[in-house]
Amino acid sequence: MKALYWLACVAAVISIPAAGQTPQKSSVPKNFTPPRTPDGKPDLQGVWTNVTLTPLERPAELKDKAVFTPAEADQYAKDLIQRNNADRRDGGAEADVGRAYNNFWYDRGTKVIPALRTSLIIDPPDGKIPGLTPEAQARVAAVADRRRLHPADGPEDRSLTERCIIWPTVGPPMLPGPYNNNYQIVQGPGYVMIVIEMIHDVRIIPTDGRPHLPSNIRQWAGDPRGHWEGNTLVVDTTNFSGKTSFRGSDENLHLVERFTRAGPDTILYEFAVDDPSSFTKPWGAQIPMAKMDGPLVEYACHEGNYGMSGILGGARADEKSKAEKGK
Amino acid sequence: MRTGFAVNSTAVNLVFALVLALPAAAQGPSYKGPRTADGKPNLAGIWQAMNAANWDLEGHAAGPGALAAMGAIGAVPPGLGVVDGGEIPYLPAAAAKKKENFANRLKLDPEVKCFMPGVPRATYMPYPFQIVQSQKTILFTYEYDSAERTIFMDNPGASPSDSWMGWSAGHWEGDALVVDVTGFNDETWFDRAGDFHSDALHVVERYTPLSPETLMYEATIEDKKVFSRPWKISMPLYRHVEKNAQLLEFKCVEFVEELMYGPLRKGR
Repeated sequence: MKALYWLACVAAVISIPAAGQTPQKSSVPKNFTPPRTPDGKPDLQGVWTNVTLTPLERPAELKDKAVFTPAEADQYAKDLIQRNNADRRDGGAEADVGRAYNNFWYDRGTKVIPALRTSLIIDPPDGKIPGLTPEAQARVAAVADRRRLHPADGPEDRSLTERCIIWPTVGPPMLPGPYNNNYQIVQGPGYVMIVIEMIHDVRIIPTDGRPHLPSNIRQWAGDPRGHWEGNTLVVDTTNFSGKTSFRGSDENLHLVERFTRAGPDTILYEFAVDDPSSFTKPWGAQIPMAKMDGPLVEYACHEGNYGMSGILGGARADEKSKAEKGK
Repeated sequence: MRTGFAVNSTAVNLVFALVLALPAAAQGPSYKGPRTADGKPNLAGIWQAMNAANWDLEGHAAGPGALAAMGAIGAVPPGLGVVDGGEIPYLPAAAAKKKENFANRLKLDPEVKCFMPGVPRATYMPYPFQIVQSQKTILFTYEYDSAERTIFMDNPGASPSDSWMGWSAGHWEGDALVVDVTGFNDETWFDRAGDFHSDALHVVERYTPLSPETLMYEATIEDKKVFSRPWKISMPLYRHVEKNAQLLEFKCVEFVEELMYGPLRKGR
C-alpha cells in the first residue's frame, strides 16, 4: 500500500514542473550543450551561488504582477537593499539591537533573478505557497504557541539555524538566505555531491539507481536519490524526519529537484514540493544558480555557538530580574 | 603485518624507519588498482578504519570508561597502537598537558561536544567516510558531524584561514594519493586519550591502494610546538562492501545540547 502511495506521489510530482511552467517560459535553453564528465554525464561541477533578492513568495503588494519590468526590478532591488541595510541607525534602540549584525556580515545579493519574476515560486502561478491542510495548520499553530510561551526554556525552543543543526541553504530544497549562499558540486561515477558552505554540510546524492532508505530511517535532510533525464539531474528526496519543517511540511514531504546547466555560468535549479498531509496542493519554484569564484571555506557554526549560551543565559537573567521585581 | 608496531626495540625501530622512508610502491608486491577515466588510481568508495586508534593512538590495554554509568558500553577497547615506534614524541611540557587532557577528557575532548574532528582523527573515528573523486577535486565526506574537506589537486595556495579540518593540497605519487594538510587551529585532538597538537600542526597523509577492498593510510605529523620530531601513524582502511552502504546523518549537535546548555535550562 505504502509503495503504491509513493508511486502515485512520484507520478503526480513529476508532471508538476512542466504544468507549473505554463505561465512562465521555461528558462532552460534548448541550444546549450553542457560539458560532460569523463563518464559521460552532464557536468554540473564548480562553485555556485543561489543568492538573489527575489523572494520565495510574491509580496502581497505586487498583487497580480508576475514579472517586473527592468525599471521596476531596479527599483525593487534598491528599496529592498535600503530596507535590509543593517547599518542604518534611524530606528531607535530596539531596531539597533535587531541590526546588531551590521551589513558587513550579510550577502543578500544586489539583484533579482534574471527572469525578473516577482517570486521564486512558479507554481502555483500566483507565486504563493498553497494553503496548509487543517492538520498542518494545527501543527504550525502549536509550534507558534510554544515559541510564544516558551521562547528560550531550553535549546530545543530555538530555531534549527540558531542551534547550528541545519539551514534552509541545505534544505532541501536549497534556498538562498541572508549570507553564505555558496555551494560546490563534485561528481564522481555514481554520485553527485553538493557541499554547502553554510555551517558545513554535504548532500550525498547516489545516482546508481538504488532504492530509498527503509521508511523507519528518517533524516534532517531526508534521503536523496538522483537520476539523469537528458541533461537534467533529477533528485528525489523522501525519508524526512519531520523535525525539519519546511514552511509547514512534515515527514511526508516528497521533494523532486531538477538541476540543469542552462549556460556556461548558470544552473537552473527547480523544485517541486508534494506533501498532501501539509499542503492543499503541490507547489514548486525555480532558482538560478550562478557560477562564482571559489573556493568554499569552512564554516564552524556549532563550534563557535556562544550565542546559544547567551540567549538561554539572558532568558534566565530576565526571569530572575522579573521575579525579584515581583517580590 | 603492519599491526605489530608496538614492539619497542631500537633496532626494529630503525628498520621500520628505513622501510617507511621508501615510497609505498617499494614496500612489497605492488598492487595496481582500478583507474578513473583519466587514468588516476581510483580511491572512490566508503571506507572505515577497524582499530582502537580513536581511543588511543598508542598501544594500550583495555580500560574503564570515563563514566561508570556506561559500564562496558563506555569501556576502552584495547589496541596494538598505530604509532610507528610505539610512542608519540612529546616535548616535556606537552607530555604533561596530554596527561591533564586525559584526566579531564569528558570536559575537554572536542568529540564529546560534537566539534569537527580534524585530521587525521576524522579518518579513524568509528564512523565511515566517503571518497568521491573528480579530476581537480577529491571530496572526503565523513559521517561524523557532516564533516567534510576538499582535496585540491591543483595547487590551492596557502590556507585562507585556520580551520578545524585544515586546508588540503593533494597530488599523486605513483598509486598513492598524498595530501599535505595545513591551516589548522589548535582545537582538535588526535584521540580520546588527550593526544593533541597546536596551530603549528602539519600533516602529510598518504592513501595507497593495497587491494580492491583496502587502502593503507599513513600520516606524518609535525608540530614543533608540541613534538620533538615528526612522527607517523599507519593503519589499513577497509572498504564497505555492502551493496546498500551509504553514509547516514550523524548530526550530533542535538545529542550534546543537554550536556552543553542543560545548566541554562529554565528551572535548573
